[in-house]
Amino acid sequence: MPPDQPLEPTGSQPRHGIQRLAEPHVLFPALALIITLLLWGGAYSLVEVERNNADASARTLTRDLTETYEAQVVRVLRDIRRDFQVMQFTSELHGSDATLAVLEDRGLLPPGFLFTVSILGPSGELLASTRPDPSAIDYRTRLPGALHSDELQVAHSVPDPQTGEWELTFAQRLDAADGNFAGVAVITVDAAFLVAAYETAKMGEQGSMGLVGTDGKIRVRRTGNQVDAGEEINYQRLVPDPNIVDTNVRLAVSPIDGIERYIGARQLYDFPLVVFVTLSRAEQLAPTEARVNTYLWRTAAANALVLLIVALLWRMSHKLAVSRRHELQARISHARQIEYLAYHDGLTGLPNRSLFSKLLGQSIAQAHRHHRQLAVLFLDLDHFKQINDTLGHDAGDQLLCEVATRLKGCLRESDTVARLGGDEFIVVMPEVSDAKYTRTVARKIISAVASPYILAGEAFRVTASIGIATYPEDGLDEQTLTKNADTAMYKAKEEGKNNFQLYSDKLRSESLDRLNLESSLRHALELDQFELYYQAKRDVNTGEVTGMEALLRWRHPDLGLIAPMRFMAIAEETGLIIPIGKWVLESVCRQSAQWREQGISRVGVSVNLSGRQFFDPALPGDLTRILQQTGVDAASLELEINEAILMRDPPRSLTALTALKDVGVKIAIDNFGVGYSSLALLRQLPLDAIKIDRSFMRDLSDAAGHKPLAEAIVAMGHTLGLTVVAQGVESEEQVVFLRDHDCNEVQGFYFNNPIPAEEVAAMLKGLATGQH
Amino acid sequence: MPFRESHIRSALAVLCLLLSLQGWAEVAVVVSRDTPVDNMPTSQLQNIFLGRTSYLPGKLRAVPLDQTEGNEVRDAFYRDLLGQSPAQVKAHWSKILFTGRGRPPRQVAGDEEVKRLIADTPGMIGYIDAASLDGSVKALELTP
Repeated sequence: MPPDQPLEPTGSQPRHGIQRLAEPHVLFPALALIITLLLWGGAYSLVEVERNNADASARTLTRDLTETYEAQVVRVLRDIRRDFQVMQFTSELHGSDATLAVLEDRGLLPPGFLFTVSILGPSGELLASTRPDPSAIDYRTRLPGALHSDELQVAHSVPDPQTGEWELTFAQRLDAADGNFAGVAVITVDAAFLVAAYETAKMGEQGSMGLVGTDGKIRVRRTGNQVDAGEEINYQRLVPDPNIVDTNVRLAVSPIDGIERYIGARQLYDFPLVVFVTLSRAEQLAPTEARVNTYLWRTAAANALVLLIVALLWRMSHKLAVSRRHELQARISHARQIEYLAYHDGLTGLPNRSLFSKLLGQSIAQAHRHHRQLAVLFLDLDHFKQINDTLGHDAGDQLLCEVATRLKGCLRESDTVARLGGDEFIVVMPEVSDAKYTRTVARKIISAVASPYILAGEAFRVTASIGIATYPEDGLDEQTLTKNADTAMYKAKEEGKNNFQLYSDKLRSESLDRLNLESSLRHALELDQFELYYQAKRDVNTGEVTGMEALLRWRHPDLGLIAPMRFMAIAEETGLIIPIGKWVLESVCRQSAQWREQGISRVGVSVNLSGRQFFDPALPGDLTRILQQTGVDAASLELEINEAILMRDPPRSLTALTALKDVGVKIAIDNFGVGYSSLALLRQLPLDAIKIDRSFMRDLSDAAGHKPLAEAIVAMGHTLGLTVVAQGVESEEQVVFLRDHDCNEVQGFYFNNPIPAEEVAAMLKGLATGQH
Repeated sequence: MPFRESHIRSALAVLCLLLSLQGWAEVAVVVSRDTPVDNMPTSQLQNIFLGRTSYLPGKLRAVPLDQTEGNEVRDAFYRDLLGQSPAQVKAHWSKILFTGRGRPPRQVAGDEEVKRLIADTPGMIGYIDAASLDGSVKALELTP
């Protein structure tokens, strides 16, 4: 990305922001801030409105008061001017000396308690006065202008010499009837009278009203109840534009007392005076400020309350979150505990069977993937029951815990030891390079377990037996490996305990016979798991098929096709051979009859008898019935009996053979030459053929000394008038030898393998067309 | 207790003497003899002299007559009957006059002048020192 290109925000960021807002430590402060801003914003605007209203009404009040005051002052001044006019008129009629007396008599003088009236002569001498102390005042010094001035004069205020109160002096020239200067009329007025309109209720203690001369000299000024005069102020500032019609109100700080005031002022028409009214801003706005204060306090209180509520909510939310988290943690830890209990042994804390089986499954999968070996060690304590019984269960439990600890000490980190229950432990070693390592570990475990234990204050010794199964040789799955390790452990017990055994092929087949065959053999007949194979016997010279030997096969659902030598011993032991043998005879005879009917072959069939079957007294009767039922000629059925069986009990054998011979079947001695037949007995027995044991055929090829023995057997058979059959013929060399020595028939892989019944027809047809 | 009684009498006598020396004049409110009023409440007297009403009892037009300032009778009248100091009276009438709501009573100097004016003017009402009372005018009885 070029450096000047701005990074684009990823799509998740805005959502992240909104999610963050919902988090309590953002939400609640934000809420508090927003509410606070709203509250104070509202309060501020309310205060602004209040202050603006107060300001506006103070200005209005100032203007109204100013205009009212102006009207009142103008009226009073006009009254004074009228008084001067009356005095002029009276002095013209009666002379200036008599004027005051005339007016007083007529009640035309202004009220004496506020006004004084004096008449001065042309040179300013006092002619008459209503003053109680007329001699104390020389008006000539008070008046600002000349005595003969035509203008109405407004003198500066001076204190009354008697009372000390300010008084204001007005003067007007008096003319004689001929128009000549006749003197001066003087009216003084109590200055306080001119500010009598001051109302504390409206104007407060710090308002002011008064009169200023156009010369800037204050004639009278009242603030509260205080009346003053004489200060100089800036007339220009007070009345910037004398001709303006509307009263202009402005806010300014008084130069006299430093108080900020609303100031209204008006230049009077026709008089050299300005009226002014001022209102103290602080006083006028005091009620508003008090209200504002109330607002602000209430806002603060409301804000504090809101903050408190938000804080409480925050705290509650925090507590809730914490308790939720605790609950969740408790649930998780509970679940973990339950899981731990489900997968661990409560006593030793080792993995239990469930966990072990899981781990073993995983280990097997890994070993399979990486083509590695793994070993399973099944360990059982020897004589643990005795310890439990003599020392008590507590001691037993203690022992098991100690054993668990020692086992762990013997293993690598990657190995797992589990307790299956009782005194059984199992170890899985997922990485085993060779069997040697497994043996080393087993020895280590045995010696570790064998060290003395201190139980109930006494030293004890315990030994262990270990069985070992290895993946993949001893099993591909978890159950097989465990079972086989267990089997090997039993083997170790049998071997005297305190040792270990490896599961082997031998153990495997033994256990197979023991565990599987016996039980499944019982159901093999019902489940129709037996089958018959046939192997041809041939004439050694012509190669003609002279007979078919029936061979029993067991088609086991798991183990596949099983030869008789693997299950015949069990069948004999359990007596199952009787029904099985009967089934074989029936099946063979039925098959033989079928072949004859189909015209396939007229060759005889032979069946092997076991010892138990042979000595079964019911056999001749059964045989007779079977032959009758199938319609098979007795002479075409040959029974083969092992030489060893015949020689077990010769007199009984003779009896049994005779009974069979009576039925009409042929008799052959099977596996001849390895038993201990006496020639005398052989002569007595009603025999038809001997079958030379396959071991002689094997020996023909290697040791020269065996050949004469075979020759002797063949010769002896001929001597006894018996057919001689060679078994296990597998080579041309053997065939040549047998032909040279007049052996009658041969049987073996060189000519024919055993084949199922349904293939027999094809095989015979093949021979007939000379394909072999 | 004759001894004590005589003491109390002496004390009262001294008090009376002191009061007369201080100028505690007895004030009489007077009208013309043919004014059909013999008594009036003090409050109405106050209203008439402070310009709040211009009627006597019986709807007769009242014309108050004041005396000039610095007069003992005047001070006593305002102090005792109207409860006002001279300064308060002055401020009161200043305000009424300035704001144009009325005019203060006409002022004359001395009891004799008062009596002279009242005797001839029905409805006129004034005050004099009780000692100046004679048959020319009629003193009003003030009721609370």
